[in-house]
Amino acid sequence: MKILRVNMSEDTPMVKVEEIGSYEGLGGRGLTSAIVSKEVDPLCHPLSADNKLVIAPGLLGGTAAAMSGRLSVGCKSPLTGTIKEANAGGQAGQVMARLGYAAIVLEGKPKGDDIYKICINKDGVKVIKDNSLKMLPNYELVERMKGEFGEKIACISIGPAGEMKLAGASVAVTDMELRPTRHAGRGGVGAVMGSKGIKVIVLDDTGTTPRQPKDPEAFKEANKKFVMGLQKHPVTGQGLPAYGTNVLTNIINEVGAYPTYNFKEGRFAGARKISGEVQAELEKQRGGNPTHGCHRGCVIRCSGIYHDKDGHYLTKQPEYETVWALGGNCGIDDIDKIAYMDFLCDNFGVDTIEMGVTIGVAMEAGLIKWGDADGAIELLNEIGKGSYLGRIIGNGAAYTGRAFGVDRVPVVKGQALPAYDPRAVQGIGVTYATSTMGADHTAGYSIALNVLKTGGFVDPLKPEGQVDLSRNLQIATAFIDSTGMCIFIAFALLDQPETNSALVEMLNSFYGWNMTDKDVVEYGKKVLKFERDFNLKAGFTKEHDRLPKFFYREPIPPHNTVFMVKDEELDQLFNW
Amino acid sequence: MRVIVKLFGGLNSGKDFKRTEEGDIIFESVESYSVGQLIDALSLNKKPFIVIHNGIILTHLDIKLKDGDEISLFPPIAGG
Ligand code: SF4
Repeated sequence: MKILRVNMSEDTPMVKVEEIGSYEGLGGRGLTSAIVSKEVDPLCHPLSADNKLVIAPGLLGGTAAAMSGRLSVGCKSPLTGTIKEANAGGQAGQVMARLGYAAIVLEGKPKGDDIYKICINKDGVKVIKDNSLKMLPNYELVERMKGEFGEKIACISIGPAGEMKLAGASVAVTDMELRPTRHAGRGGVGAVMGSKGIKVIVLDDTGTTPRQPKDPEAFKEANKKFVMGLQKHPVTGQGLPAYGTNVLTNIINEVGAYPTYNFKEGRFAGARKISGEVQAELEKQRGGNPTHGCHRGCVIRCSGIYHDKDGHYLTKQPEYETVWALGGNCGIDDIDKIAYMDFLCDNFGVDTIEMGVTIGVAMEAGLIKWGDADGAIELLNEIGKGSYLGRIIGNGAAYTGRAFGVDRVPVVKGQALPAYDPRAVQGIGVTYATSTMGADHTAGYSIALNVLKTGGFVDPLKPEGQVDLSRNLQIATAFIDSTGMCIFIAFALLDQPETNSALVEMLNSFYGWNMTDKDVVEYGKKVLKFERDFNLKAGFTKEHDRLPKFFYREPIPPHNTVFMVKDEELDQLFNW
Repeated sequence: MRVIVKLFGGLNSGKDFKRTEEGDIIFESVESYSVGQLIDALSLNKKPFIVIHNGIILTHLDIKLKDGDEISLFPPIAGG
């Protein structure tokens, strides 16, 4: 596998293809974090020439392994100032790996304000100036690329938000229908791509074949066991395919952990109207599809296609996080308007979690009223217009809180909290506080054990055991994120040791390794160490590993609890 | 004793109970029931996996129900 470097500082962008070299054995998040921690000055401005945007499929990307199409996007984050890895589904991960690239590294910064597209196929790489693409939203941009390059491509792109270098900007990845619906959303990675002057990377793997394992028979057998394990598990085999991630709305609401009205209450009266059950039924009635994969090779298929009232495509099935952020968090219970906001976020290229929490902060400031869906849509449209207000909103919750004098701003290291209140689920609070990425639920998804009883049960309302839980999950996640596997496989891995072994066996038979379970843990720790070291050099201390003060002071109904995990315990997370 | 039972994630009861406006089951009885006994009495299409009693996730089902209690039942689910 090769590393493709595109340096945008020269008058003519410089393309260099090199061997993976010292990064051998790393993939996905492991590779993005290794390159960023080794090659980027932790003290640099995230939008400067010194930052790098690293795009990497996982270790099993481009192979016949099921679920292996996730794509990692890493850099120094303009939202948090920490290292960042945001990952997305879609087709590009598989295509990029089949083309032989372990990573694309965007470096430097163009002198002028020209924008470029990068076209990659089996014959090579072209970087083409194309100012006609300026400020195109993602859907229109992809249509243009389809017209130019045909239907067999995958695109990695930014919308207007990325071009404006807003800290909430995402990197979009096209799905199986060639729509820009899958986003590396968190941390403003789209702004870094914008700062490099790259609007879109067009990948075409025509004429390539899947990457071949060292031991094809063992690989095939391990993949078969792995798929059987996923299909057998009730969550990955039934729950997720039937209702998607938004099936969580009712359960998180019932346990009183559904952050409502900018984290003031733990239950939302309108939750059922926007739940996964309702959403899946609407999708069936309107000719959409509640069971759909975001990339070829996904056997869980938690995604879907959402149609409007007239039966026309509106957006992909909005995720739980999106429905919560733009819905319950803002007091909005209209699922069609939430789905429309999901489309707007994808089209302008902004993170739905960051935008929902930002709108909640804007509501707290009195800009619009709680529950005002049309007002929220207007705020998002301001981003598309590039107005001053839109630029404030597009820079995220912390920035908007400062602009409008709000002191209750739910962020850690500048990044908005996701859809679980840390006072009602203490374990996720530990992850939010200590993650190397700022508040990020996927970094150590304690909800699996705190609420969903997958892999065991740890009482969500008590502080005991939460640091150990979060630590173990953060280590395991850093490994899974490096394989290119979708994190949802973890639900089956936690309960089924044989499925876990099948994943390790796939890696061993593909690469000719002898990895053991212990090595998996060491791998995860190594990735976290890259990230933690970068953050320490960037000036982050243990004082940054804390939740906002109001989570320690304001009890949240219905349980009337505060966040109780002590600072000294949080400080032990990385002591292993 | 009157207990409200909420079913989610495709769980259904094979019996004809009185319902709230939201469609939740109103379970009424003069006899005392534990959570486990209540679940048996519902004749559900699938076994519930997560049982929530007044907002608390239960680890055992022998808790005695009281008038006004709420029970929420879910099959195995996840997301993120
Ligand atoms: S399970 Fe869902 S998020 Fe994961 S790869 Fe499949 S469709 Fe994409």
